[in-house]
Amino acid sequence: MTSARPHCLAESLNGALGDLMADDASVVLIGQDIGRLGGVFRVTRGLQDRFGVNRVRDAMLAESSIVGQAIGMSIAGLKPICEIQFDGFVYLAMNQIATQAARMITRWNGDLALHLVVRVPVGGGIRAVEHHSESNEALFAHIAGLHVAYPSAPEDAAAMLAYACRLGEPVIFFEPKRLYWHRRRQTRAAGEPVSALGARTVRHGSDITVAGYGAVLEDVLAAAEDLADAVDVEVIDLRWIAPMDVDAVVASVTRTGRLLVVHEAVGFFGAGAELAAAVSERAWHELSAPVRRLAPQRSVYPPADSEDDHLIGRPEIVAAIEEMCR
Amino acid sequence: MLRHMLVARGVDEEAVRLQNQGRVDLWLSCRGQEVAQVASAMAIGSAATIFPSYREHAVAVVRGIDGVALVAQWAGRTFCGWNPRRHRFFPYTLVVAAQTLHAVGYAIGRRLQDRTETVVVYLGDGATSEGDVSEAMNLAAVESAPVLFVVQNNGWAISKPSHEQMRTSIAERARGFGITSWSVQADDPDATFAQCLTARWHVERTGTPALVELHTTRVAGHSSSDPHTVYRDPGELAAALADDPVRRYSDRLRSAGVVDDSWLSEVSADVTTHTRAMVEAFGR
Repeated sequence: MTSARPHCLAESLNGALGDLMADDASVVLIGQDIGRLGGVFRVTRGLQDRFGVNRVRDAMLAESSIVGQAIGMSIAGLKPICEIQFDGFVYLAMNQIATQAARMITRWNGDLALHLVVRVPVGGGIRAVEHHSESNEALFAHIAGLHVAYPSAPEDAAAMLAYACRLGEPVIFFEPKRLYWHRRRQTRAAGEPVSALGARTVRHGSDITVAGYGAVLEDVLAAAEDLADAVDVEVIDLRWIAPMDVDAVVASVTRTGRLLVVHEAVGFFGAGAELAAAVSERAWHELSAPVRRLAPQRSVYPPADSEDDHLIGRPEIVAAIEEMCR
Repeated sequence: MLRHMLVARGVDEEAVRLQNQGRVDLWLSCRGQEVAQVASAMAIGSAATIFPSYREHAVAVVRGIDGVALVAQWAGRTFCGWNPRRHRFFPYTLVVAAQTLHAVGYAIGRRLQDRTETVVVYLGDGATSEGDVSEAMNLAAVESAPVLFVVQNNGWAISKPSHEQMRTSIAERARGFGITSWSVQADDPDATFAQCLTARWHVERTGTPALVELHTTRVAGHSSSDPHTVYRDPGELAAALADDPVRRYSDRLRSAGVVDDSWLSEVSADVTTHTRAMVEAFGR
């Protein structure tokens, strides 16, 4: 399928899935309601009509079964791409992901290509009910044997999904729900990332580096624009949480001297803590201010009426940058 | 079958010795379960792909895996001492039950590639309490996956007896999912073989799953770290030790003239080859 340049994440992912399936007959999709319905977010819309029920498989309501059977299919020579309906339900598959998928290649003494992608809609800001707004990427980043992808832009999402599908190692692929149908995107700097697993500089600047990933990056870019007259902000989209492209952030900080890390998951033991520590270790002498993290407090994700108080928004990002550059 | 049982017994005894000497870190003995394992493994043939749990040493022996390869992971050398694809015997899974879903997915995956093959998954009575087993049985039934579930019910999940784990037999539970099943007293190799062959044919003829529950006896502890005399009835254990189905089968075949002393000493030499290599590999 050739389509016009995608405008939102869901369309981009839908196109990427279709292309992958058209190119490679071993790619199969498994997930709840992904066939007839096209997925609760419509990411797989039209794919079952196009590729049939054998390749776009409506799974039973059993997450462990989805990932567990996909591991078996992968060993059998297929390239399964699973969909978990919501971030808060991935825990039901956690045993299969952590004790099986992540360890399988090592268990086979390296003599196994385990093609396996687990797509997980992630994050809040959509007035969802309990368990439907979680940001749990740090749990997966901590598990050796897993790649963790977290795109924030349609073009990146398509390329990263294709990379993940062909990698031959398990990938947890987070898709920010808030961006699925979000079309009025912030302007981003042109240019490609240095590598498939690398970070991407989405705004060039010289006063401060702001690193982040996912939906909150749109807020970071908006905040940078708000401050454009006073502060020259560089913004880095990490894109992958594991492995993490610390080199790109260190290179940026070497020029700017300041680092602010922003993410939607709680700060305590979050991905930002790893980045802050790594940059502090490697670029201490380049820093003109302490590294700072901006992320929600360690509290249960609240009911929708309170989610704006929990989440990091544009005003908090503006304030943090101003404080650091004062 | 007798040859495999005797080799498995010999490998198992040497592993126990090496563990006692501190040369092997942990060993999960299959003593007492050789009949269930060898008879089922012979019945399913060499073409089927096997997803084992972690105590299927006698099944591994049937698949041509030697004592050194079997013990390597229990001596800290690797997580899998053999080539899984060459032997069609996949690595042991220590998180019990997880492999049942892999087996069903594998069977579906092969069928999707028009390369249907029979898949056999081994599990124990304890594992059937895990949710993955229910998910796997239901998935296999709904998808009509050609998977044979071989459940060795040795009566114990470490220290929890079977009657405290379930109200029905495992075979009966399988029928609730729509899976054809049999419950078999697995102390006679010939009868067990015949039952497992029936189960295999069912899977291959219908392309649907089946389950065979093999009632067997764990003579040793769950592992070398399990002092099972603490929780087992001394009378039951003594009876199990005295009534060794491998010895009974050996005596029966000898008195029937199927095997003779020279055959037995040839097997004994085979066992010595295994155990010498094990001592060589781990004992020094």
